[in-house]
Amino acid sequence: MGGQPLYLEPRLEPRLRSLLGAPALLHTLTDALGSPLNMVVPDQLADNLQQFRSVYGTHHLSGQVYFAHKANRSSALLRRLAATDAGVDVASLGELQHALGAGLTPERITATGPKNPEFLWLAARTSVTVSLDTRGELEQLATLVRKHALPRVRILLRLSGFEASGVRVLSRRSRFGTAVRESAPLLEAVERHADVADLVGVAYHLDTTSLAEKATALEGCLRVLEECRSRGLRPRAVDIGGGFGVNYLAHGGQWERYTTELTEAVLGTRPPLTYAGHGYGLRNEAGTLRGTLGLYPAHRPVAGARYLDELLSHPAASLGGRPLAALLLEHLYDLHTEPGRALLDQCGLTLTKVLEVRGQESGGPLLVRLAAKADDVALEEHGVLMDPVVVPRDPAGAGADVGVGTGPDAGAGPVAVHLFGSLCLESDLITRRTVFLPRRPEPGDLLAFANTAGYCMDFHATRAQHQPSARKVAAWQEGDTWRWCLDDQYWPTTPVGGAQ
Amino acid sequence: MRYDSITDAIGNTPLVRIDPAVHGLRNIDLYAKLELLNPFGSVKDRAAWNMARPHLSAAAEGAGQVVELSSGNTAKALAVLAGIHGLTFKSVTNRMRIPEIKDLLLLLGAEIEELPGQSECLDPTATDDPLTLFHRTLSEPDSTYLHTDQYFNPRNTEAHFTGTGPEIVKDLDGRAPDWFIACVGTAGSSTGVARALREHDPAVRVAGLVAAKSDFIPGIRTIDEAHEVGLFDPGTYDTIESVSADEAIEGMLTLNRRCGILAGPTGGAAYFGAVRQLRAFDEELADGEPAERQSAVFIVCDRVESYLSYVRQRRPDLFGRPRRRNSPADLSDAELRTAPAIGVADAQAWIATGGPLVVDLRSSYAYAALHIDGSVNIVDELFEELLHGGLPFSRNRPVLLACPVGEKSARYAALLTRMGHPDVRSLTGGIIAWRDAGAPLVRD
Ligand SMILES: Cc1ncc(COP(=O)(O)O)c(C=O)c1O
Repeated sequence: MGGQPLYLEPRLEPRLRSLLGAPALLHTLTDALGSPLNMVVPDQLADNLQQFRSVYGTHHLSGQVYFAHKANRSSALLRRLAATDAGVDVASLGELQHALGAGLTPERITATGPKNPEFLWLAARTSVTVSLDTRGELEQLATLVRKHALPRVRILLRLSGFEASGVRVLSRRSRFGTAVRESAPLLEAVERHADVADLVGVAYHLDTTSLAEKATALEGCLRVLEECRSRGLRPRAVDIGGGFGVNYLAHGGQWERYTTELTEAVLGTRPPLTYAGHGYGLRNEAGTLRGTLGLYPAHRPVAGARYLDELLSHPAASLGGRPLAALLLEHLYDLHTEPGRALLDQCGLTLTKVLEVRGQESGGPLLVRLAAKADDVALEEHGVLMDPVVVPRDPAGAGADVGVGTGPDAGAGPVAVHLFGSLCLESDLITRRTVFLPRRPEPGDLLAFANTAGYCMDFHATRAQHQPSARKVAAWQEGDTWRWCLDDQYWPTTPVGGAQ
Repeated sequence: MRYDSITDAIGNTPLVRIDPAVHGLRNIDLYAKLELLNPFGSVKDRAAWNMARPHLSAAAEGAGQVVELSSGNTAKALAVLAGIHGLTFKSVTNRMRIPEIKDLLLLLGAEIEELPGQSECLDPTATDDPLTLFHRTLSEPDSTYLHTDQYFNPRNTEAHFTGTGPEIVKDLDGRAPDWFIACVGTAGSSTGVARALREHDPAVRVAGLVAAKSDFIPGIRTIDEAHEVGLFDPGTYDTIESVSADEAIEGMLTLNRRCGILAGPTGGAAYFGAVRQLRAFDEELADGEPAERQSAVFIVCDRVESYLSYVRQRRPDLFGRPRRRNSPADLSDAELRTAPAIGVADAQAWIATGGPLVVDLRSSYAYAALHIDGSVNIVDELFEELLHGGLPFSRNRPVLLACPVGEKSARYAALLTRMGHPDVRSLTGGIIAWRDAGAPLVRD
């Protein structure tokens, strides 16, 4: 494999660490419910919410944290959320029904994203706040409210195309939101429909990791809100969407070393680090590196609530240089956020069973086949590179040569592996990169992919080739023991009920 | 020295010896090539002029625009050169993280386009990143852009091969130095100088310096980023070392304070990297026979003035000022707890009958949007400044202080009380509580 193993160890906070420290439970569950198996840890969601709340607190800001439902389908997570004071951001009719059914009352729900008439109707019917992308959507909603004699509906206007003063920031084109440049006709429409729609405020959701772009957008929103006030409207809130990010890896050093070696592998100055020389977007053109590294910045010291804190502390260059939080507060605006990935940090893992471990005649990485499809563990789909944790079937055999294995080098010592899925497709690679594991896995062992709850669990999962998609269980701690139930059986009363 | 054009002042920069008492090397003379003394302020003046010169007059006829992906110094030079020739200049980059440089470029008439940050929800199959799109527009058939292409243009390297390198040899009395140390940005200066020196003496050892991966040093690339540079060839360097931002600032301070060389962080990085590189070697020389003295040259790329905010962010200690009188930071917990305050309902009555001066401490934008009728706006930062000089209003006039939630106003109420004001109060819960109680707010 050449040189030291290039580990990318997942960051494990106490809950996930503890769960991975209960191998008997994990094996019992996969034996009973099959592989792959998704586990969610609802209590972690409540803790993550507290971190966001405390950032609101330090900046004296009020307003709601709306969990972006799209990041996970779990009922357990949503019901646990309902037992907090948070809200939920729903992006489809199904998600709205799910949220209402989980106990989230309408004043705690916002509807975003592309909307069909049914979605709009149910949102307006139940008095959920609707975040509108375009003037057309506003007209459609107003018509619906009048025609069906629905209650006055609370709306947010989603804006895009913000411009920084002095410096033009190029941005990826967004399909969503109305360009701030065209906000005047939008506001005129709001005034025209004042009898059926009540303007709560403005919103944006930018798909970027850049603080500067978001700060520009927030400043832009403040300016539009000022325009609303000067028209006599009474907006109260800015919704800044999600995209606060997650730090996936335990060690920054491992990430830096890995990406450097990947660059060198692409340039051909070290052996390949991926299956079939895949470059994750990088190419070698006459010795110069071209292309863009299509990877999530997996080690991100500033992510989640800390990212929000940095954004709020960012000076508003075009509004006198005060921090954005101070401006929001001084203008008496509520701050709404819609974290998805960040609220699901450390909220779950995906278990997969090892079916086969095969050496290659030519040497090189071992071929490891898992009882899962690539889309069940969509880390790669999201460009997140992170090692799985080996959960041995026979803990006594872990790390020692006790004859469980088949090859001469079974057991101890690091190995390089390629992880394949169970589909009859050449492309069904769980990882396109060579993964380094601290020991050789054996058939029957589990590979646990940590921190998959945000988007990597069931956003992409299919039933291709009649293979089952993963079942899902919710787990919680009672004292020193882990308890579990099927995801759908979980209610906030369950953990307590179980203990009584 | 008399010149017909400012561009004639590019190059021929001094080579200045660093006092051995500062660097501590016993057997090596260390010289700084002062590229900061170029007319537009940096080593990039040479490359910018050499790259643009052949095309400027043609571009001026076609009313074109000079464009470059530059984070600062090349942009600065090109903006000036374009301006002199009646052209405009645009820089496209997301590496320009120094606010002073952005402002200076805008002042010079440059247009700046920033590339967006990375997508949070990646599409690994996406190929249309903004940089690719940018290159596509440049290469469209009827494009009027003059793209200097500093990362790939051999005339960048050539400027140093024919200028910087030979100047060093000339100033060392016709000899190449034993060592040459330079930071790697476009790799133009290090490659061009190295080539010139080696032509003179193939034994010259060349050290390239890159930024540590997790760090940001303006103008320098990390080792991974260096691979994206067409002019970068790892074979040019006998060694490639990385320097952290802290080390760069440390080196910069030494040059600034002890050598009188007002270098910026890259010059600091070069000095720090040079001394670190040479120290071990110097020991070896010292251990052996009394050897012939050796020499080493590093490049000071640009000046410190543009990087004050960069340094302040990383080393606030360097900007520490003496504590001022009457500062809210001096208040004790007890003083804060007993700060005089008044609730919304009582405050409304007081305003109606007692005529207090209502001071709104929020920013002017927030105040303009909505405020208590009759109040005056003194932004808290300004208010703090005023208090350093003493009470800003008469003791006979009662004062009601208001801020968003009543926290800042409480501090100032405590401070004014300590300063001897007999009747100052903070609005409990601030303007937010005022609004929530349904009390009127106006925008005049
Ligand atoms: C409107 C909106 N809000 C919130 C989110 C959640 O973003 P994240 O999961 O990155 O926090 C998304 C994701 O695409 C979105 O479109």
